[in-house]
Amino acid sequence: MKVFRKKTISFWNILPIIVLILFLAPIIFIFTSLFSNFNDNWNHLYNYVLIEYISNSIYLILGISFLTLIIGTGTAWVVTNYNFYGKNILESILILPLAIPPYILAYTFTGLFDLNGTINIILRNIFIFDSNFILFNNIRNIYGAIVVFSFTLYPYVYIISRTAFLSQSISLIEAGRTLGLSKFQVFHKLSIPLIRPAVIAGLSLVIMEALSDFGAVEHFSIVTFTTGIFRTWYGMYDLKTAMQLSSLLLLFITFFILLEKYSRGNQIYSKPGGSSNRYKMKKISGLKSLFAFSFCIFPVLIGFILPMIQLIFWSINYNLSFFDKKFIQIAFNTILISLLAGLICSFIALLINFSLRLKKTKLKIYINSFFSIGYALPGLILAIGILKFFSTIDDLFSNFILTGSIFGLLIAYLIKSYALANSSFEYGFTNISSGIDDSAKILKSSGWNLLRRIHFPLLKTSFLTSFLLVFTEVVKELPATLILRPFNFDTLAVSTYIYAAEERMYQAATPAIAIVIVGLIPIIFLSKMIQNSKVSK
Amino acid sequence: MKKFKFLLIVYIFFIACSQNGNEVNIYTSRHYDSDDELYALFTEKTGIKVNVISGNGAALIERIKSEGDNSPADIYFTVDAGNLWKVQSEGFFQSISSDKINMIVPENLRGPNNEWIGIAKRARVVFYNPKKVSIDEINDLSYEDLSNPKWKGRIAIRSSNNMYNQSLVASLISNHGIDSTEIWAKGFSSNFARKPQGNDRAQIIAVANEEADLAIANSYYIGLMLSGTKGSDQLEAAKKVKIHFPNQNNRGTHINISGAGILKNSPNYKNAIKFLEFLLSEEMQKNIVNNSYEYPILENIDPHLLIKNFGTDFKEDRTSVSDYGELNPDAIKLMDRVGWK
Repeated sequence: MKVFRKKTISFWNILPIIVLILFLAPIIFIFTSLFSNFNDNWNHLYNYVLIEYISNSIYLILGISFLTLIIGTGTAWVVTNYNFYGKNILESILILPLAIPPYILAYTFTGLFDLNGTINIILRNIFIFDSNFILFNNIRNIYGAIVVFSFTLYPYVYIISRTAFLSQSISLIEAGRTLGLSKFQVFHKLSIPLIRPAVIAGLSLVIMEALSDFGAVEHFSIVTFTTGIFRTWYGMYDLKTAMQLSSLLLLFITFFILLEKYSRGNQIYSKPGGSSNRYKMKKISGLKSLFAFSFCIFPVLIGFILPMIQLIFWSINYNLSFFDKKFIQIAFNTILISLLAGLICSFIALLINFSLRLKKTKLKIYINSFFSIGYALPGLILAIGILKFFSTIDDLFSNFILTGSIFGLLIAYLIKSYALANSSFEYGFTNISSGIDDSAKILKSSGWNLLRRIHFPLLKTSFLTSFLLVFTEVVKELPATLILRPFNFDTLAVSTYIYAAEERMYQAATPAIAIVIVGLIPIIFLSKMIQNSKVSK
Repeated sequence: MKKFKFLLIVYIFFIACSQNGNEVNIYTSRHYDSDDELYALFTEKTGIKVNVISGNGAALIERIKSEGDNSPADIYFTVDAGNLWKVQSEGFFQSISSDKINMIVPENLRGPNNEWIGIAKRARVVFYNPKKVSIDEINDLSYEDLSNPKWKGRIAIRSSNNMYNQSLVASLISNHGIDSTEIWAKGFSSNFARKPQGNDRAQIIAVANEEADLAIANSYYIGLMLSGTKGSDQLEAAKKVKIHFPNQNNRGTHINISGAGILKNSPNYKNAIKFLEFLLSEEMQKNIVNNSYEYPILENIDPHLLIKNFGTDFKEDRTSVSDYGELNPDAIKLMDRVGWK
């Protein structure tokens, strides 16, 4: 018995380290740029543009954080606490904007809101304003970008905080109410602090994705740290300085991740166990119901319905011929590779989080944060790191070809989207009472057995959430796909890019819609799963 | 059984992407549907299979570099002379030895040592709104004239992130040196009607909508717009603007290229040569210009009628396209210094 236990423990200890090495290798390739000399281009950056890159990025992040928090946690709070007209549908469709990549929303926004965009033209026609009437002046600015990012990325915050609100115990809320807190104070002083880890996890995904974005900010002509990285690479032909800039971006992110972990300190968020009485939803009607409905439908309207209408309009008018034999192949590629990536990535995240739980050492907790930082790198820079990592391995095993193979592409997806999978499990595990583990230990269940029979069934929703997030991410993924793919291998995102690269949005609309449709498949599954799990409880 | 089927599908999926035989491998940053047609026609004519990876030009260079000696890449095909220069200057191209190609492609559209060649040309021209710009103003207008304060608030142009603008500024540096180009760029960028935004087509639309009086954009965009495939509003906009070819009294209008080169480690060199010769054949040059609205390299071929109507006998700038790449970093920094966003 002793021997057996020793063996399992060592497997669970070694696993995170092996995966860490695999995941960090590409990032290390980028980091090594910091140890070579800083060339003359730094003088130029420092003197003329760096301040603007940094300040714009900070404004962007602050604005996006503020908006996604309000939208994400606000809607999650409303749908978990109140019963109102259309609530069940809203609860599911609030995640729909996840299927739309920010740059697509940016394109459709300019189509809708530009000086001569659809909305201004419609308003002019309806109200017979003259052609100088402009309701939406320029939206190609930082505020426009904040709106675009917030309305596509808020579901990250929504999904995780919704689960968190759902699993909050009623006794605590009731205690708060009895002690004289108002409803708002309950929300503000109890619910929010309790779901803080969840909200932070969602928010950091949002921030990392916004920081690494190139397409949307470029389209809105906003100069950010990431556009600066690419300007340095493409224009000055200076990949090394671009990698140094990226490394600094990463150091900055790492600093904040550690700061957050540190400030969380030794607080234990694992639930006390037992009383998971869900609080009864309060039924509201009339004006209140209307308000709740409007508050929840608004983000879906802006982040999904409006852009879809615009895309469908473009698509019908210009490029229906896209749906041919080639399309089936491309859609098949996309679905299969996203499916594989989603499954594998979720399993890895499950195993790693489980191994962290088995024996929580400080080191391991910090290690887990580093798995995720790849997400904050601009996609193409991460892809370059992966490329260098692969070519090293290819050289090492002389004939082994990772570069340009499907297998290599899969690994790239895992590295890229691990943060998404991790965030669902990290929170899922904090929600399983440690008492369960202790009871299991008494019953001599440990290692694989404990995972398979006790934790996995409890983590089904986390697993599905993780799968969903990774799946939709891979469906949308572009930079790594472009540079690492095999010959003649297209995905829907590649087809969209091929048109969108030159702002041929009319033609890009059809593949963009296909991305959304494919991305919807797991979303529908997930919302069904959520409904079922409620009934069974 | 279900599991087995799934694994089988996955397995087929994995092996479907490995192939070899009589082929040519192209790394391209051109994303035109019509290019797929070119590849299909080439395969039809020669029996040589065309394998393609498309992507960002700079990223493809990194892939070629990291693949090193094992790289399957035969041809690097791009719309940016700067990237061609970059690949060439790092020694990843080899000389293209084909008398046929050397005869067809003029010297200024070839790289040093014949390491890359132009496949089609585009001119960076002035689009103006005849309602807002008088004949006197537009006559003999040069790029240099656009720094004159009389154009204040009247010019639309896209962001300096765009390689076409970088090439244009690089060509000015090549002709006037950094200092005077910087003075020019300072005046020029203070004449902008709005913060640079959108692509070249968006600039032409801005001129049509009178947000600006004139715009600098690539010639083929107007062809795309006039063709009607971009929708009726773009067609209407395109009809409202006219083209002016700058610098006809001196060195000529700025020209850039779509071009290609053969990589040092090309495993299918002969097929690669065949492919480039194929692109320069009369038939394919016609195909290219009719689909992309670019100008042909072959002199006896006409561009698409919509482009031809604007005139074809304009004087082209003979500044070596190689210079664009070499001076591109200087151009970027210069634009940063004068605050051209």
